[in-house]
Amino acid sequence: MSQFIALSLKSLSRNKLRTLLTLLGVAAGMFLYAAVETMQHSLAVATQATADDTTLVVYRENRYCPSTSRLPEHYHSTIASIPGVREVIPIQITVNNCGASLDVITFRGVPPEDLRDYNPDIRIVEGSWDAFSQRTDAAMVGKHFARRRGLTAGDKFEAVGVNVNVAAIIESDSAQDNNVAYVHLPFLQQASRVGLGVVTQFNVKVDSADQLESVAAQIDLTFSSDQQPTDTRPEKAFFAETAKQMIELIAFTRWLGIGAVTAVLGLVANALLLIVRSRVKETAILQTIGFSRLQISWLVVIEGLLLGLLGGLLGIASAFAFFHFRSFTLGNEGLTLALAPSVEVLLRAIGIALALGMLASLYPAWKATSKPLIQTLNA
Amino acid sequence: MSDSAYIHIQSLTKSYHKGKTLITPLQDLSLDVPSGEFLALMGPSGSGKTTLLNLIAGIDSPTSGLLQVQGRDLGGLSRAKLTRWRSDHVGYIFQLYHLIPILTAYENVELPLLLQKLSKRERRQRILAALDLVGLADRATHRPTELSGGQEQRVAIARAIVHDPGLLVADEPTGDLDRESADSILGLLDSLANDHGKTIVMVTHDPKAASAAHRTLHLEKGQLISGS
Repeated sequence: MSQFIALSLKSLSRNKLRTLLTLLGVAAGMFLYAAVETMQHSLAVATQATADDTTLVVYRENRYCPSTSRLPEHYHSTIASIPGVREVIPIQITVNNCGASLDVITFRGVPPEDLRDYNPDIRIVEGSWDAFSQRTDAAMVGKHFARRRGLTAGDKFEAVGVNVNVAAIIESDSAQDNNVAYVHLPFLQQASRVGLGVVTQFNVKVDSADQLESVAAQIDLTFSSDQQPTDTRPEKAFFAETAKQMIELIAFTRWLGIGAVTAVLGLVANALLLIVRSRVKETAILQTIGFSRLQISWLVVIEGLLLGLLGGLLGIASAFAFFHFRSFTLGNEGLTLALAPSVEVLLRAIGIALALGMLASLYPAWKATSKPLIQTLNA
Repeated sequence: MSDSAYIHIQSLTKSYHKGKTLITPLQDLSLDVPSGEFLALMGPSGSGKTTLLNLIAGIDSPTSGLLQVQGRDLGGLSRAKLTRWRSDHVGYIFQLYHLIPILTAYENVELPLLLQKLSKRERRQRILAALDLVGLADRATHRPTELSGGQEQRVAIARAIVHDPGLLVADEPTGDLDRESADSILGLLDSLANDHGKTIVMVTHDPKAASAAHRTLHLEKGQLISGS
């Protein structure tokens, strides 16, 4: 088999320009496919609830955008006393754009003394917790946010009318944390002119996932006749509900992915047909020497697999690098969806590229040996 | 059938349709070729000599009659079995050499061995021996475009003999060569028959090439008309 692969590689190198153009075409198609898959995957990760999810989000009823949701901060103690609630953290969110946007800047104001306990997944990449605690205008910036803005610890920056000092760059397994800037709650309440004692939401952790519904109902019931009634839902369900626009937009991109895959299929099949037609005589010579129809077909299939694999790797790696280094986030109503490359998407896209190469080569492989040898030898 | 006949042909007919016309390039032809003979087939264009050569090589199948090579009835073999048989027993030498241009002389000669279960070392030994036999051991790394016509044909002969087939078929192997190169190739074929026991069937238009063979047969309209 290794000799056949070497032979196919040499055959591909014969017409370098044609092979290069085909590879670039495959790479472009697979780039698009991998990009679409990355968006789909990122959305799935952000919206699909798992058995481990134990977080509820409490918003002002019917007001999900941070610019309109207002809840009294003192709800904190009431929520914390509800059975099944493990932790509560009040959060003030300030965003630059409440509508759909590709460059969302999100400040999360939280009590600095509570953040570490509430969110132990946060890891310091640069700077320190102490630096964050010591300055009221300090910010802990998610690594994707920092990369996008070119920020490092010690920098100052201003956005949405809020001036902060970067105390630390953080990373977390939670994609949202990598795309926001955590600041002190009182500072943000004042800087954003919302006012002290008012927050956007409460994030509530319950003891176990099966308590999510009952605790959510209890919270909403508690404040139902209050001046500021609440709407409490599991974090990911809330995200899925609020991100409908993004979901529709991203669902549409699936068609782009299908188009890209179809284009790759056609491109590789066309290239292989051209290759097969240009080598009719050579194929006949190989058959005369003793290569069977199956072996000749394998040579064509291997060329298809190589075109799919090499072009696919180029395109998929480019897409991977593109999303890794550009750190895109899709935002809507204060929620950020980080378009993060994943190994799962990478492997699946490589598998698709190989499958496309294989599929595209089947007809050319059959065509290569469909005529009787004597006819092709005399052609 | 003679006991020593390597190729035994009896009442062989080949016909095919071209549109609505039935073409019969070979009709009721009988022939025995003993092992180790160097046989030349001559005749005008359309006389059926290349058709006969292709039938003997297992590239085409007869319409009727008996065609045996080393006692094996080729007429009864399927396309796949004929291919397998060719890879073991036949070396084919073309007029225009038909080397694969992107491969070196070494790699071209290696092609038939890719179908055999041999180690890389065994393949290398056989390839170098074949190239040495045709006098091109020092051209192993050259591509066809870097070789003369005579050298290309020598590489093609090395490719035809590297898997040690008993039968060599040559379709006008000197037709595209100058006299000097042609004589050299004919000398090589003669040596393969006399010194290495190969049975060789060669189609040629060139009387001088035919004179290098042990025996020459003339075909006309699909039938043998004379032999010398």
